[in-house]
Amino acid sequence: MTAAVVLRWLLWPVLAATGSAALAQGCPETDPEAVALLEALAGRAGAVSYEGVLTLQRGNSLRMMALRHRVDGDLVSEDLTLLTGQEAQVVRGDHPLDCDSPGQQLLRAAALAQGECGLAGHYRISTGPGERVAGRRAVRLLLQPRDMYRYGYVFELDRESAVLLKGTVLGAGGRPLEQFQFASVNIGGDAPAASERPTAAVVHRTAHAHPAAPQAGPETGLGWTPGWLPAGFVPTDETAAQSVRRSYTDGMATFSVFVERLGEPLRPGEGVVREGSTVSYTRGLTLGPDPVLITVLGEIPVNTARMVADAVQRVR
Amino acid sequence: MNEALRESLSAVMDGEGDDLALRRLLARSEDAEVRATWSRYHLARDALHGHAAAARVDISGAVRQAIDAEAVPRRKGAGSWRSVASFAIAASVTAVVVLGGRELAGVGDRPGAGPVAAPVGLVNTIGAAPVRASYGARAVPALQPAAAGAYDELARQRLRLYSQDHAEQAALNTPQGLIPFARVPEIDR
Repeated sequence: MTAAVVLRWLLWPVLAATGSAALAQGCPETDPEAVALLEALAGRAGAVSYEGVLTLQRGNSLRMMALRHRVDGDLVSEDLTLLTGQEAQVVRGDHPLDCDSPGQQLLRAAALAQGECGLAGHYRISTGPGERVAGRRAVRLLLQPRDMYRYGYVFELDRESAVLLKGTVLGAGGRPLEQFQFASVNIGGDAPAASERPTAAVVHRTAHAHPAAPQAGPETGLGWTPGWLPAGFVPTDETAAQSVRRSYTDGMATFSVFVERLGEPLRPGEGVVREGSTVSYTRGLTLGPDPVLITVLGEIPVNTARMVADAVQRVR
Repeated sequence: MNEALRESLSAVMDGEGDDLALRRLLARSEDAEVRATWSRYHLARDALHGHAAAARVDISGAVRQAIDAEAVPRRKGAGSWRSVASFAIAASVTAVVVLGGRELAGVGDRPGAGPVAAPVGLVNTIGAAPVRASYGARAVPALQPAAAGAYDELARQRLRLYSQDHAEQAALNTPQGLIPFARVPEIDR
């Protein structure tokens, strides 16, 4: 048994107790101004059309892309075209404006402070004077993690429309891990029609399964379940018991767990690769009689990924 | 593929590779040409040794034989690994894991990867080998899990393999819209 497992079992009652105590006392106090901003981010920011060019910086790599967000009635069409590196485009067409994915629900729950506190239970949320981004005035929304299982976020929201103009993911000690920001943006203007969309060699249309409809994804041949999740993370969709992938969100961060069943026993070990705020943590272990390779991939600290992988359990 | 890389590949395969050769090879492990050449070399070597050259080479089998021939003790516990397996063996097995891993695992074609053969069964074998890189011609044995590098390489491969599936979920469940797709190393249709 590794030290991490022992620690987890020792801490589990404490964590569980603090979790339920927080619920019993209601949600932590959140600055009303921050609540209003979150509400705007979860709601009206998506209801306005905009387009622009933005950059994503992760360490030494910089990607430039064009983003369009077009609202037509209660449907949203979006596309993201990479302008550097690979010639690729991602298209999400006719997405309902009031899409109620688990992540969106958590964002709204924080804004409404109803039921479980959503984001506010796991981040200290505050506001501040914003920067000037892409020639526009912004207000700052700050989310500081209440525990060590997630990263922090600084968002710059357009003062008029609440459109997200800039976002920074902060690691331990407030160290920036990655940052995206618009270089130029046109908000509320007439976005060009779909026919004027720039073309790309690779066009990916996003899957948009209903969260409650199990996806017929690849199966791994054994039933498994995460034995532990960091507080506040919920499944993003329904998956079959033997699904290769399961994903989780706390409303800000997401991570996915992939389980591959192997044919032969293997020497236990782990591998880690980081890119920006993304970690890919791969772990070889045995679940009951079955050797498996577990990968936790997401925008979470490596220690969280390790604890999740460590706790994966076999189910019948 | 340049000459230096070809030499590295050949050296690692013949158990003559040093740390530099292995690193050079690992850095290019995603390269289709490198992988094809790796398979070809194996075919050629098997033919040379009088084996019937199979259409699809069982790289793992060849390596296992090599390892068995070295008679690495198979006891559990890092401390008991006192064998003096050469770095070259570890290097060639690492290369097998990295170059052959995907094909062996059947995970090269996303999705639909079922329970197939073991990519990391091989990590088992190298992981056990208490060897360390040396910059000289001969290896300096030391107790260090050779699997560490192989696992990092697996983590890198999984990052490429699974990033887009993960981005689908991130794009729907974070306030950043489609931006999570910009984190995908290579976007697929």
